Amino acid sequence: MTKLKLYVIPYTIWMTLLIILPTIMILFLAITDFNLYLKGPFDFTLEAFSVFTESTVQIALKNSLKFSLLTTLIALLIGYPTAYYLANLKTAYKTFLVALIIIPVWSNMLLRIIAWEKLFFPISILNTFGISLDWIGTDKAILTGMLSMYLPFMILPIYSVLVKLDHHLIEAARDLGASRLQTFMNVILPLSLPGVVSGIIMTLLPAMTTFALPERLGGGKVILIGNVIEDAFMKTGNFQVGSMISIVLMIVIIILFKGIMTVDKEGETLL
Amino acid sequence: MSNILTIDQLTKSFDEKVVLDTVSLDIKYNEFVTLLGPSGCGKTTLLRLIGGFETYDEGRIDFEGVNILTIPPNKRKINTVFQHYALFPHMNVFDNIAFGLKMKKHPKESIQQAVSEMLDLVKLSGYEHRRIDTLSGGQQQRVAIARALVNRPKLLLLDEPLGALDLKLRQDMQYELKEMQRKLGITFIFVTHDQEEALTMSDRVVVMNDGVIQQIGTPEDIYNEPINRFSASFIGESNIVDGIMVKDYEVIFEGISHTCVDAGFKKQEEVDVVIRPEDITLTQPKENTIQGVVTDVIFKGVHYEICVMVGDREYVIHSTQSQEKEDKVSLNFGPNDLHIMRKSDD
Repeated sequence: MTKLKLYVIPYTIWMTLLIILPTIMILFLAITDFNLYLKGPFDFTLEAFSVFTESTVQIALKNSLKFSLLTTLIALLIGYPTAYYLANLKTAYKTFLVALIIIPVWSNMLLRIIAWEKLFFPISILNTFGISLDWIGTDKAILTGMLSMYLPFMILPIYSVLVKLDHHLIEAARDLGASRLQTFMNVILPLSLPGVVSGIIMTLLPAMTTFALPERLGGGKVILIGNVIEDAFMKTGNFQVGSMISIVLMIVIIILFKGIMTVDKEGETLL
Repeated sequence: MSNILTIDQLTKSFDEKVVLDTVSLDIKYNEFVTLLGPSGCGKTTLLRLIGGFETYDEGRIDFEGVNILTIPPNKRKINTVFQHYALFPHMNVFDNIAFGLKMKKHPKESIQQAVSEMLDLVKLSGYEHRRIDTLSGGQQQRVAIARALVNRPKLLLLDEPLGALDLKLRQDMQYELKEMQRKLGITFIFVTHDQEEALTMSDRVVVMNDGVIQQIGTPEDIYNEPINRFSASFIGESNIVDGIMVKDYEVIFEGISHTCVDAGFKKQEEVDVVIRPEDITLTQPKENTIQGVVTDVIFKGVHYEICVMVGDREYVIHSTQSQEKEDKVSLNFGPNDLHIMRKSDD
């Protein structure tokens, strides 16, 4: 036991310094009128909550919800068949093809966003092929960007469930008279649900909180909630409002995580 | 009685390795047939071909006169009890058993009734709403059998269904399976590598090795008249000795001539002589018999297993009478106890 406790120390320090302390700070900033620069006495107040009545914040929230839900839906529609196809491949290429999906995730996300940004300007390398896009600030730019960022996180958890699925269960279903479609609907789909839920969370969460992507591809025309938080901290210096939005978002995320835990008890499909 | 299943010249190979080599086999209605052999002998592949889970190279399988090899598994009136049960983990006991009937869109009430009848049959009434992972191995086994039988198949395939159970449970299930088969009048094809299981349950046993059927016969035939060295060594324990047929009804082994009941061999043909351990009786050393020294005596419950060295060959003898180690003894047997078989080509 003591040995085990020793191993846990670095993790505890890490968690405390980088997760727990900042969270407490944000919570503190959100529910007080404490000013980080002036210091001095403070009062507890929920006045920052009124930020949700502002139209820019409401639009940003709506945008965030719209884009993250749309991205998740499209990623699911593309991701499930892809994962299914990959999991049932019997060739030696299988690992290679799965690696192709993982490798882009290893490169810096900001770099990939900037790459998309360059392509979406009217003058870009695409002109070489006689194509000129003027997509910056459009919905399709944001959607394309989000999909390219988050699709791997939808495919991988579904793939990892499907690849472990006991093939005898499919044979048993067929043996008992189920057609291919019935087998999919009654056995394969329900058993891969934990992967689907993981995929949805893994896509929905980052899509909902991203700020770099809309900043680059939105051209100032599309604002997401991440941008509002970033502005509050980096531009207007209104930590109280920024913290309040962050905390509310965090609560939403925790509720979502509760959801994933009930379907996927062991958390085995999360990366 | 006519055949429910006729397998004709069935051949199958995986990556150039032949796993079934021109296998032909007839199975009658209401028969309990066991495919017996060591792992890799092709018995499971044969079963999977009948069930529809494997592709074939050549040959045909006629089920009630119709070749089924091109028919998908869900259209065959055959059900399977899988080796590790393959129960659906996301469904409870009721939904597992009801699965087949639901797929065939039976009305709700008749499903309800059929499932509870099946639960009765496998003695699991009251377990309808239990999750699969809360059941013991034996209970899962029963659910798997009920799930297959509820579809009223004409032919039930069982792929080593008792392999994961402990000895006592296994013996109970052997008996129960046999009872069910009698009661329901369904043809069973049972795959096992356990020779005792095969002998206990079957009407006929099909002994397989290297994708080839070695012998087909009743348990008594297979045990008493093994056709070759493989059959003899795989079924029960045997002493297999090299011998020479000097003429009809006379074989020489261990340097002594013995009378036997076999004929039709070439003069001086080299043969395998098989003697079952329980067919040998030990006596005080006598003239003109095989003599040896007792090297080991093991108590086995019903009998003693006695090892006797004759020259550099060890004989195994089963006897209710114990022997002292290092004792000199004679091995005695009658002409009927010697089974003479031609040497296999290998």
